[in-house]
Amino acid sequence: MDAAETLRLLALEQDHEALLQFVYMAPVGLLQACGDGEIVMLNPASSQLLMPLSRDGSLDNLFTLLQVAAPDLQDRVDRYSGANGLVCDGIHLSVETGRGTQMERRLLSFSLLKVSADRYMALLQDVTEQVRQAHRLQQQEAWLAAILTSVTDYALVSLDKHGRVLEWNDSLQRIGGFGPDEVVGRPLSVFYPDGAITPDRVADHLCEARLGGCSLDTGWRVRTDGSRYWGSTLITPLRLATGALDALGAGSADSELVPAYCLVLRDLTEHRDTAELARLAAVCDHLTGLHNRRAFFDAAEREIRRLKHRPRPLSLVLFDADHFKRVNDTHGHPVGDAVLRHIATLLHHGFREVDVVARIGGEEFAVLLPSTDLQGAHTVAERVCRKLAATPATTTAGEVLCTVSAGIATMADCAAGDLDALMQRADQALYAAKAAGRNRVCGLAPGR
Amino acid sequence: MSFSVPLDFARPGALDGLLELDSEGLNALAFGVIGFDGATVVRDYNDCESRMAGLSRDKVIGLPLFTAVAACMNNFMVAHRFEEAAETGTELDTTLDYVLTLRMRPQRVRLRLLAKPGEARRFVLIQRQVAA
Repeated sequence: MDAAETLRLLALEQDHEALLQFVYMAPVGLLQACGDGEIVMLNPASSQLLMPLSRDGSLDNLFTLLQVAAPDLQDRVDRYSGANGLVCDGIHLSVETGRGTQMERRLLSFSLLKVSADRYMALLQDVTEQVRQAHRLQQQEAWLAAILTSVTDYALVSLDKHGRVLEWNDSLQRIGGFGPDEVVGRPLSVFYPDGAITPDRVADHLCEARLGGCSLDTGWRVRTDGSRYWGSTLITPLRLATGALDALGAGSADSELVPAYCLVLRDLTEHRDTAELARLAAVCDHLTGLHNRRAFFDAAEREIRRLKHRPRPLSLVLFDADHFKRVNDTHGHPVGDAVLRHIATLLHHGFREVDVVARIGGEEFAVLLPSTDLQGAHTVAERVCRKLAATPATTTAGEVLCTVSAGIATMADCAAGDLDALMQRADQALYAAKAAGRNRVCGLAPGR
Repeated sequence: MSFSVPLDFARPGALDGLLELDSEGLNALAFGVIGFDGATVVRDYNDCESRMAGLSRDKVIGLPLFTAVAACMNNFMVAHRFEEAAETGTELDTTLDYVLTLRMRPQRVRLRLLAKPGEARRFVLIQRQVAA
């Protein structure tokens, strides 16, 4: 072999190696198969995606590997009449990979190109993240579109890291008649009616926004004149680049004057009726209009998750109508129902808006009081109890007085743990109130 | 401690044996050896593996194993096993049947995955399966 030939071979070898490495490194799966699915060639990314689907540890046949995700693949190939062309183009295949508790669902994008009679090229790509991202974007776009189509019913404002309004703008005037003095430096709760939000709940929303990218909250909001409107609040965290911070002259991200969140406040009055009716139907008790049992447990579990992030007290009051069976037996069920509605109304007005008041059984009611200790819960429960003892229900059978007994349990910190334990302790306290003569409130100290 | 006979694919305690070998020692082995560090960067790549894959050692050393060299192993069957062992501080010594895409041809192999707590260097050993 002469020197020129040696050089030529060396160059060829280097080209070959570069080409091999090019395909080895390709971040998408490339694969060549015959018409019966037999795999002729494939690159590492294909093997990475297909090995978890293999039942016998082989990568011999594409159709066998994709049997669960695309059972009709062989059929598609057989039915494809063209001499060449795309048999399928970017179809999404749902596959399960992993094992035991680590099973996860992934989405593969799959294309199959017929090159000639018995030669097919496949392109495989894991698009799980892209599809998730696209879904998130769609949701955000829907939100933005909703805002932009009716520009008069929203306000946009920046909040500092504690959730306080940093500056005033026109939109605040427009949505609630707020002037600069009424909002700047005030916490987010300035937009909520009294009792509809606690400082802890403000912190929860900021925390949710930080961890999850946004926090959305729909409910009653208030204008400066005290009137209420149905609105939603969207909080998103702002991530400013260091350069932007310097430009603000703010020094560091910890500074009080740096915008940390963006708040969008929407007036949903026009959209309220249909959306709200659907929501109410799902969460309301049909007789009393209070939260139903399921909505109560959902809310309680959500609150317990929140206080695991940021510990604070949580109280639960269980109310039970005294001698209710006697009311039913004496006056009949329609009167019993009227009495229950009466109790529900007094409970509803006796607690804050942030408290969750629910009917969880026949004559049993539960109230969840976020950021409230045993003493606080006791004071309110006692007041409601006395009010009920002094206010008879107006029914078709005349005035009927029905007292209640109440049991309170408090979770002093999240260490105590779960909802079941809290319910059990409140139930014990309720039993103690009944045993002590009814028409009274009994509270169990935390940890007992 | 030195090995008078070449290290065997299935030999118990292979990790310690491999750590003692220099590149010449690794090249003498009859199975593929890829050694990589805690950041998954390839540090060892022996002759046998180089021949099977068609890549020379200097094209591979310094590259991230699971993305640039052997993407086929970047799943729960291989890469996640190493991650899991590192996270839980447990020893990993497991052998499994696998299919590699050596020169883009599906090739049945046996893989042995080796890692132990306190040792940054991990290994994948690759033995070609001869069709029965």
